[in-house]
Amino acid sequence: MLLERFNRGDDAAFDRIVTRYAAEVAALANRLLGWPQDVDDVVQDVFMAAFTGLRKFRGDCKLRSWLFTITINTCRRHRRRLGRLRSVPLEDAAPNLYLNEQAEMAAIDSETFARVRRAVRMLPARYREVVVLRYLQGLETGEICRLLGISTNAMNVRLNRARKRLKEDLLELIEVTA
Amino acid sequence: MTEKQITELLQSADRAAGPPSFGRISAHQIRRRLRRRRLLWGGPGLAAAAALIVLGLTLWNRDLGPQEVVVPPEQEKIASLETQVKQLQAQTQATLELVNDVLARERQTQQLDALEAELASIPDPVEELRKQTDKTAFTLLYRADRLYRELNETESAVEAYEQIIQLFPRNRWADVARARLLEIRKPLINDSKTEGDSKCKSRSV
Repeated sequence: MLLERFNRGDDAAFDRIVTRYAAEVAALANRLLGWPQDVDDVVQDVFMAAFTGLRKFRGDCKLRSWLFTITINTCRRHRRRLGRLRSVPLEDAAPNLYLNEQAEMAAIDSETFARVRRAVRMLPARYREVVVLRYLQGLETGEICRLLGISTNAMNVRLNRARKRLKEDLLELIEVTA
Repeated sequence: MTEKQITELLQSADRAAGPPSFGRISAHQIRRRLRRRRLLWGGPGLAAAAALIVLGLTLWNRDLGPQEVVVPPEQEKIASLETQVKQLQAQTQATLELVNDVLARERQTQQLDALEAELASIPDPVEELRKQTDKTAFTLLYRADRLYRELNETESAVEAYEQIIQLFPRNRWADVARARLLEIRKPLINDSKTEGDSKCKSRSV
C-alpha cells in the first residue's frame, strides 16, 4: 500500500516508511558498526539508497528485509571507508574507580557489558554480522542466509566460529555469572 | 557456553549501550540531499567542459589574429574553414604518398634480400668445375697407379701419367704423376749410366 503510494509520487508514504523502520535500521547499523551510538550518517545513507531504489523494489521479500540488506551493505561500505573500526571509547576502556557502593555494582555491570561489546566488535566482519543478526536482531536462519547471500551451512560455520571466539574472550565472565 | 547464555549476555550488553541516535529523515530532506549530490558530482564535470570550451576559443582567436577582436563575417569564416580543409587534405595526401613510397622501398628491399638468398643457395660454378677436374685427375692417377703397381704395365702407366700431366698440368695430382714418372725413370737412367760406364771402360780397355 505504502509502496504503491510512493510509486505514485506521494512523499508522505516514504515518510511513513521511515517512521516505521528507522529505529530498527539504526539499531542494526549501531550493532554492526560496534555500538558507535551516533549512526546518523549511515541511517541517512540507507534511506537515501532506499529512496532511489524503491521504485525497482519488486516485493520479492519483505520491505524490512530489503532495508536490512541495504543497511548491511551500507555498514560494510562505511567500515571500508573508515579503514578500521572506531577506536574504543573511553567509557568502554576503563571503569571509574571513585564510586559509591551502589554505583560500583552498576560500574561492574557496565564494565562487563563493555567487554562483551568489545569482544563482538573485535570479531571479523563476517562473524560479527552473523552474531548480530542471530542473537541481537533475533532473525531466523533462512532470513539471515537470504540477507547475507550465503548458504545455511556457511552461516552455521560462521556462527560456530564466532561463538568459539566469544567463548575464548568471555570465558571469565560466563564463569562469574554462572 | 550455551547459546542461551550468549544470547542473554549479548542482549544485556546491547541494552546497556542504549539506543543509537540519528537525525530526522524525510523524503523532502532526501530529495534535497540527492539534488546537492548531483550538483557536487556534476559540478566539476561542467566546470571542466566550460574551461575546455574557453581554452579552445582563446586558442582559436589567437590563431586568427591576436589584435583584432572583430568577428569575421560568415563568408570569411567559411572561406577560412575551406582553406583549412584544403590544407589538411594536402597534408593527408603528402603523408599518404610518403607512406606508399616507404612501403614500396620496403617491398623492394625484401625482394632483393630474397634474390640474394636464392643466389647464395646456388653453388659457385668455378668451384664446381675445379672439384670435377680434381676428381677426374685423381681417377686417372688412381688408374695409372693400378697399371704401374698391381698390373706391372709400366708403359701404359707412363702414358697415363703423362696424360694427367698434359691434361691437368697445374693440378696437385699432376705433381703426383710427375713424381711417379721420376720414380719409374730413375732406375732406367741409372741403368743407362752403368751401361755408358761399361762402354767407356771397354773402349779404354
